[in-house]
Amino acid sequence: MTQQELHNQRLLKEAEMRTLGYYSRRHFLRESAMGLGGLALAAMMGCHSRPKTTPIVFDPAHPLEPKLPPFPGKAKSVIYLHMAGAPSQLELFDYKPELMKMDGQDCPPSLLAGKRFAFIRGVPKMLGPQAKFAQYGDSRAWVSEHLPHFSTIVDEVSFLKAVTTDQFNHAPAQLLVHTGSPRLGRPSMGSWVTYGLGTENQNLPGFVVLTSGGKNPDAGKSVWGSGFLPSVYQGVQCRSEGDPVLFLKDPNGMDRDLRKASIDAINQVNAQEYADVNDPEILSRISQYEMAYRMQISVPEVMNIADEPQYIHDMYGSNPSKGSLANNILLARKLVEKGVRFVQIFDWGWDSHGTDASLAIDVGFINKCRQVDKAMTALILDLKQRGLLDETLVVWGGEFGRTPMMENREGKQNPFKGRDHHTDAFSIWMAGGGIKKGHVHGETDEIGYSAVQGKVDTFDVQATILNQLGFDHTQFTYDFQGRPFRLTDVKGQVIKEVIA
Amino acid sequence: MGAGACLLHADKVDFNTQVKPIINRKCISCHGGVRAKGGFSLLFKEEAFAPTESGKPAIIPGDPDHSEMIKRLTAKDPEERMPFKHEPLSAEEINILREWVKEGAPWGQHWAYIPVAAPAVPDNTDSWIKNNIDHYILQRLQKEHLQPEALADKPTLLRRVSLDLIGMYPSDNLAQQYLHSTDPHAYDVLVDSLLATPQFGEKWASMWLDLARYADTKGYERDDARNIWKYRDWLIKAFNADMPYNQFLTEQIAGDLLPDPTDADYIATAFHRNTMTNDEGGTDNEEFRTAAVLDRVNTTWEALMGTTFACVQCHSHPYDPFHHEEYYKFMAYFNDTRDEDSQADYPLLRDFNDSSRTELKTVTDWVRTQAGDARARSVNLLIKTWEPSINSLTADHFINGELNDTKWLAFRQNGSARLKAVDLQDKDELIYRYTNLSKGGTWLIHLDSVKGSVIATVKASATKDWTIEKIALPPVAGVHDLYLTYTNPALKKPDQNGILYDWFCFTHQFPGKGSPDYTAMYNRYWKLLTLNVAATPVMMDNPSDMHRASNVFERGNWLVKGEVVTPAVPASLSACMPRDAPANRLGLAMWMTNPKNPLVSRTMVNRLWEQLFGSGLVETLEDLGTQGSPPTHRELLDYLAYTFMVTDQWSVKKLLREIVTSATYQEDAKVSPASLKGDPFDKLYSRGARVRLSAEQLRDQALCISQKMSPEMYGPSVFPYQPKGIWLSPWNGAQWVMSQGQEQYRRALYTYWKRTASYPSMLTFDATSREVCTARRIRTNTPLQALVTLNDSAYLDLAHQFALRMESLQPGNPSAQIATGYKLMLFKPIAPEKLQVLLQLYQQALGDFKAHPEKVAGILGIDSTTASPTAAARTAVTKTTAAKTTTAPPSADEAALTVVANALLNLDEIVTKN
Repeated sequence: MTQQELHNQRLLKEAEMRTLGYYSRRHFLRESAMGLGGLALAAMMGCHSRPKTTPIVFDPAHPLEPKLPPFPGKAKSVIYLHMAGAPSQLELFDYKPELMKMDGQDCPPSLLAGKRFAFIRGVPKMLGPQAKFAQYGDSRAWVSEHLPHFSTIVDEVSFLKAVTTDQFNHAPAQLLVHTGSPRLGRPSMGSWVTYGLGTENQNLPGFVVLTSGGKNPDAGKSVWGSGFLPSVYQGVQCRSEGDPVLFLKDPNGMDRDLRKASIDAINQVNAQEYADVNDPEILSRISQYEMAYRMQISVPEVMNIADEPQYIHDMYGSNPSKGSLANNILLARKLVEKGVRFVQIFDWGWDSHGTDASLAIDVGFINKCRQVDKAMTALILDLKQRGLLDETLVVWGGEFGRTPMMENREGKQNPFKGRDHHTDAFSIWMAGGGIKKGHVHGETDEIGYSAVQGKVDTFDVQATILNQLGFDHTQFTYDFQGRPFRLTDVKGQVIKEVIA
Repeated sequence: MGAGACLLHADKVDFNTQVKPIINRKCISCHGGVRAKGGFSLLFKEEAFAPTESGKPAIIPGDPDHSEMIKRLTAKDPEERMPFKHEPLSAEEINILREWVKEGAPWGQHWAYIPVAAPAVPDNTDSWIKNNIDHYILQRLQKEHLQPEALADKPTLLRRVSLDLIGMYPSDNLAQQYLHSTDPHAYDVLVDSLLATPQFGEKWASMWLDLARYADTKGYERDDARNIWKYRDWLIKAFNADMPYNQFLTEQIAGDLLPDPTDADYIATAFHRNTMTNDEGGTDNEEFRTAAVLDRVNTTWEALMGTTFACVQCHSHPYDPFHHEEYYKFMAYFNDTRDEDSQADYPLLRDFNDSSRTELKTVTDWVRTQAGDARARSVNLLIKTWEPSINSLTADHFINGELNDTKWLAFRQNGSARLKAVDLQDKDELIYRYTNLSKGGTWLIHLDSVKGSVIATVKASATKDWTIEKIALPPVAGVHDLYLTYTNPALKKPDQNGILYDWFCFTHQFPGKGSPDYTAMYNRYWKLLTLNVAATPVMMDNPSDMHRASNVFERGNWLVKGEVVTPAVPASLSACMPRDAPANRLGLAMWMTNPKNPLVSRTMVNRLWEQLFGSGLVETLEDLGTQGSPPTHRELLDYLAYTFMVTDQWSVKKLLREIVTSATYQEDAKVSPASLKGDPFDKLYSRGARVRLSAEQLRDQALCISQKMSPEMYGPSVFPYQPKGIWLSPWNGAQWVMSQGQEQYRRALYTYWKRTASYPSMLTFDATSREVCTARRIRTNTPLQALVTLNDSAYLDLAHQFALRMESLQPGNPSAQIATGYKLMLFKPIAPEKLQVLLQLYQQALGDFKAHPEKVAGILGIDSTTASPTAAARTAVTKTTAAKTTTAPPSADEAALTVVANALLNLDEIVTKN
């Protein structure tokens, strides 16, 4: 079927579904004219017997109802750990002893010809790996000394070692990773996924975003925006301070009973309004107020990590009294366990230019590694022990790589050791959700500058994630501005080599 | 008349409604646009009839049996049969195509690309009809055997038309006048009064801000502040003055190119300066300048001409008649402008107060007497804009120098850099803006190479901040590359920056030397030039010596430049280009506003209709082309488009008046069984529109009901209450500091709009971040919206104020208070059952607050002892307001009424326009 036919078929289906929806809801109201209790509303919210194999349809009344993917996917949910700022592959996974031999030498002109860098000017010096490496597990994967915990679970993950991008600035590169375009305006991966699959738990947002490191990612909230998809699919940022979801908490002085009474009153008046006016949209509003009430209970519950046993906190390095990346990674597990479809984590502070100590490859970078190492390791082990790893796809990476050259901003020596942004090679790892265990795909040249084998780009990673969820990325489209759009634009190949 | 009528009166096949849909659906993905399999494309007429790879055309008009296109549809061999590897066409589809070829294969034009013709209004004498609009609506309804609803009652109409025309409630006076009037024309009087209210401009400006992608920050990573609110104020004034829409567009597209542009003309051009600027360190300024120019092209088409043009960036339009290179010809209109993604957002219109403006006039007039009109203009422009100048970020060939943070030319010891191709002909002065980071230092300007002859030697003075200075230049003829070199013995470290430059302006010395008042006048000139004032980004073209050529980008890649192009509009729409139009943005505006331009008027009319009815006559406001939704009432759209342009001479107010005084607009929104069955989505207007209010309307409504709205208009954007921790921008310590007093209660459109972290409660209600143009907001209904109006401290505060208002009107009588509150919101009495429900809520809340008096202060937001950030914020909200209308201590009654007020503000009737 062509895109256009598919689209037309969807439109027809949509019109049909909407009409049906109105009738079934009107019917429902007649049946339950005695009052609009939670039970009946729950029926409207997603537990009714709509066939689950319909093509993707945006139904404004049930936008997040769970839907089956076009073909059976291995993964049901995704946890995407994004190290914003772009961690150095050369100090983590891409071991390059040859680069050590060039340490301190002028960069050969061949590496500079025709290249554009964000900050490197003139001829920089080469910078050898600033970490010791060893091989681990049955897969003999190389991991640096900065990730001692992670080195124990390399047999659970697949490494992509030759990932490339074409954006060398943070904001556009982050947008490319998450929306498939370096410019603003496209939906993020989590939005696509919740649009296509809905979400399992109607009392929680389907797409949750957690940030740490004290800042939002460089590209701002657009990296979890819904672009041209309906705004209901945008990521909901859950926060470790203040309300976990904005405006979730009842006003002071209003306890749960009073809030319940007030929502009941609102809904009763609305039901009378429906009796007068007959507009089905009123029913939809009634159900949204019911759901808001339930979210007020379920979100703080799931966001509260204080009840987790101590051994879990020890495992993750989390601490309920202080927001952190480790807390967020633990939360990601809890959210996925509760049926949240897509959890997006951003941790800020990985931009190791060497312009100050916190952004130095031999100082701040090591601290960032310590913050993530234990927690990401715990996530894999914890998901595994709960039997969730097989159906949860975990992805870890940044928006680009770092140069084997030492950064020389404005052609000058930076005060600390640092590396500039680099588009031609970086590392990502994936685990769970039907991904091969203990596998390495792709290889860079002897100094980690360019991909020489198994080269993939950010579109390929997106195609693979969608594939694991049961979507053919070339068919998963949304019509906007007169043409079908997709996450991977006109690009992307599923990376078959890492699929189990 | 319509498509249906077309089919009736002729048995001929209609290309647009019958053939083109089949082509778009079944053929174009292989035979059009990027792909033309077998050398056959159905995208453009000339392609469709051209010889294919076989050497013969695939369509032979009049001869379907020898037309390969038709033969292939029924071929037996699966390798031959089309569509290749897809379901065959239905017998009916094949028949349509065959008949079409037989009839000579007439190529039709999509309706939206045909100029709007004078319409014939259908004739109908039904008493329901109030004006011409209703004729079209009724005709269609009758065809579908449907009846329109009767008119809604007065209270409903009052709220509906007020929210629609002024985005808020009418003044009490106006409301009472209308409700109590017995004049049969009372509604018309109301409409005229609303159109004359200053708040009218605010409502429609707020619509336009989405199209203009207006924001108070520059976007991208740093997302620093931008000072561009004067553009928003310009919009308000333009709508209030009912500036004709053709002038409105012309000023925004090309105000700077009008003869003797006023400051207001310049401010209007900020429309296209709302594109983003990337301040992220390490970014290529040319890349983001290009991104801004592309955005201007796409916005011009999408927002003003209902056409999705962006696809043409990479290839010919897959469905509509636009060729790939036409995109770049069109882009050439916008590509020769002064802006260069500079941190300061140059070019700027400097914001002078009245006395400086008088001073500027004096200086300009004096120069005119001394050196003539041309010089007077250039001095005036220089003072107002510091243009034309060379941005230091365009420097290259650095040695011991670089662009600091990729923004400003910076020199270290023995630094040098090049300024490319500077026209020195007849220039005798350099004015430059710089800051000296160290003591002393000397810089030289060399001609043509680093070692070239020195034309200037400058001792750098110490500066505290950015400073403007000037030096005299010797006469040099022609255009030269200039090399700047710099030395400074005070610089001890080789990597220490000595001097930073912002811009260089090669110009003429102030005229009139020798004249008795030269010195005094020169001082006044220099004072104005160097005055430290705010400034607004505006459009300005490059002078001829700084001309920037435009190229086709191969496959849309800005780094791969193809042939050079000059400004032109797409050939398929070039007929309405006036012959005397200049090949610049002004000519472009003349083309757009020519009544023969088929898109501009239809797009605006459709947009205004959408604002009033919740959905356009063409649902896809952004796309009237062949892939957009088909119009529900094409003749009505054309009638309105024609009336707007010709009869009403582009008056937006007249157009709105015509729409809102129609019976169609005034229909009751009740959904009758017949209407639900025959017109489930109200596409035929068998009932009145019932849509959720926009983010802005919701906030403004709550401000009105609580009587807290500040009457203040215009000015810099404000910071109403927002929860903590929303901004957190990287590399930028910007903070949301809550506005004080009245400023907190300004209308929604004055809220500070930060692109990467916009005001959260409005975003939840489908407002957008305005990074790019939003031609249409898609309304959603989510639980997060309920949480905003239930729990946001800003809404709670207004609920409290509303409760105080109800209490003061009906002291001591809760039932009457609630009834009054309801009437204040909806202008009609509350139904007893509804009152009963709300009164019960009141009683339960009252019981609760009496049993727990400590909760009273919490709900009223005056409990500063509570540690929760929400409470603290609300305390802050309350403290800064003049809320203490009552001196009595807060009571349980007040708290209980606040709970009810909060519920009232959440009712479907209130969140929705009925």
